[in-house]
Amino acid sequence: MSSNNSHLSDQELLLAADGELPPARAEEVASHLAECWTCRVRKGEIEESIRDFVHAYRGNLDPLLPSPAGPRALLKAQIAEMASAPQGWRIRWSQFATLRYAGAALFLVFLGLLIYFRPAFQSRQGFHVVPVSFPEPSLTPGVTAGVNRDQICGSRPPKNRIVPASLQRRVFEEYGISGAEPRAYEVDYLITPALGGADDIRNLWPQSYSSAVWNARVKDALEDRLHDLVCDGRLDLGTAQRDISSDWIAAYKKYFETDRPLQ
Amino acid sequence: MFKDRAIPDLAATTVSSAEGASPKPTPLEEEVVALFDQMQDRLLRYLFSTGVSVHDGEEIVQEVFLALFQHLQRGKSRRNLRAWVFQVAHNLSVKRYLAKRRDRQNLVEPGDAPAEDTFVDRAPNPEDQLASHQNHARLQSVFRALPEQDRRCLSLRAEGLTYREIGKVLDMSLGAVALSLGRSLARFARVEER
Repeated sequence: MSSNNSHLSDQELLLAADGELPPARAEEVASHLAECWTCRVRKGEIEESIRDFVHAYRGNLDPLLPSPAGPRALLKAQIAEMASAPQGWRIRWSQFATLRYAGAALFLVFLGLLIYFRPAFQSRQGFHVVPVSFPEPSLTPGVTAGVNRDQICGSRPPKNRIVPASLQRRVFEEYGISGAEPRAYEVDYLITPALGGADDIRNLWPQSYSSAVWNARVKDALEDRLHDLVCDGRLDLGTAQRDISSDWIAAYKKYFETDRPLQ
Repeated sequence: MFKDRAIPDLAATTVSSAEGASPKPTPLEEEVVALFDQMQDRLLRYLFSTGVSVHDGEEIVQEVFLALFQHLQRGKSRRNLRAWVFQVAHNLSVKRYLAKRRDRQNLVEPGDAPAEDTFVDRAPNPEDQLASHQNHARLQSVFRALPEQDRRCLSLRAEGLTYREIGKVLDMSLGAVALSLGRSLARFARVEER
């Protein structure tokens, strides 16, 4: 190509002008252009075509461009809104690859320790158990089913039903313990159906068996006691429902006349 | 040549972090707005040249930079953001064009003017704009006669994209980009020789 007997193609002249040739070839082309007037003239013609096009292109499209202020302000507002979206923590996390790797390494170490110490850990307090002795009044105010004493104390009294797994999960989620070990809790009725309590999430809460003192077994004893008192006619049903839903531990102390669980 | 080297290497720009809700813009927000300032005119000119209306062009550019913000926010690749931005703008404009063509096909009787012609003719693209300027009239006719892909190549090159970047945006090989540009310029040269 560097010979004066063979000229450069328009394609190659364009590639050279655009800096798209490999370095070695670019040198050869530059050397050829230094020698060959014909190719230099042709290169000039190509550049003239480009210049004319660019003048036309810019000269006619630039007047259409809007003022940048409005679109800029709109974009700023929109990305500020996106930045404040709840997924922010996840996105920040994903931006730090190093932290991701460090986090993964820590997780593996934690997993290893957990597997190693699991038997001892479980025997003491189970897996991921958050002791819950008191229902949260805003989540579990207690709801009754509108039954009367005769229905409760009849030949077929209402019994505690097994709470469906899906409802149990919702209860765990409400209490912020969605990762909890289900067997460590009794998703309990605050007002038991045996006392007229309803199958309603507002009447359910996750009571842990592992609570040292005031646990699910203690409350079961209170429920039995209140049912007996109501059916024996020694306690009004409404009072029993109110007492157990407002503060079941105080009710236990009151009806068992003790400050400590008897079990 | 019209390779514009004024655009900084966007891939080299750094982001420290994206903070949550805050009255003060995060570094990432500031970076995206800075890129918008650098790229907005280039994107709009390219879109106008391909037949996109001013209104649609502005909407597409907003969409592009919101997508860019999400892209960076998710920690995705920062390699050659200039080509990435043009590619998203191109894809969005094609998507809009196809949607409009579908709408028109649902409205017009068979045998009416092809949607593609309407797409080109309605737009404030260079050929329409060039008509207002006598010296550019011949370029208008040449540009109008170019295949759509050649017009896009030429416009992207005029906006400073390298052959590799054009290939990425339009999904073409480097050789096809070079051939397209060479073909278009040869047509301009022939007209000028007359």
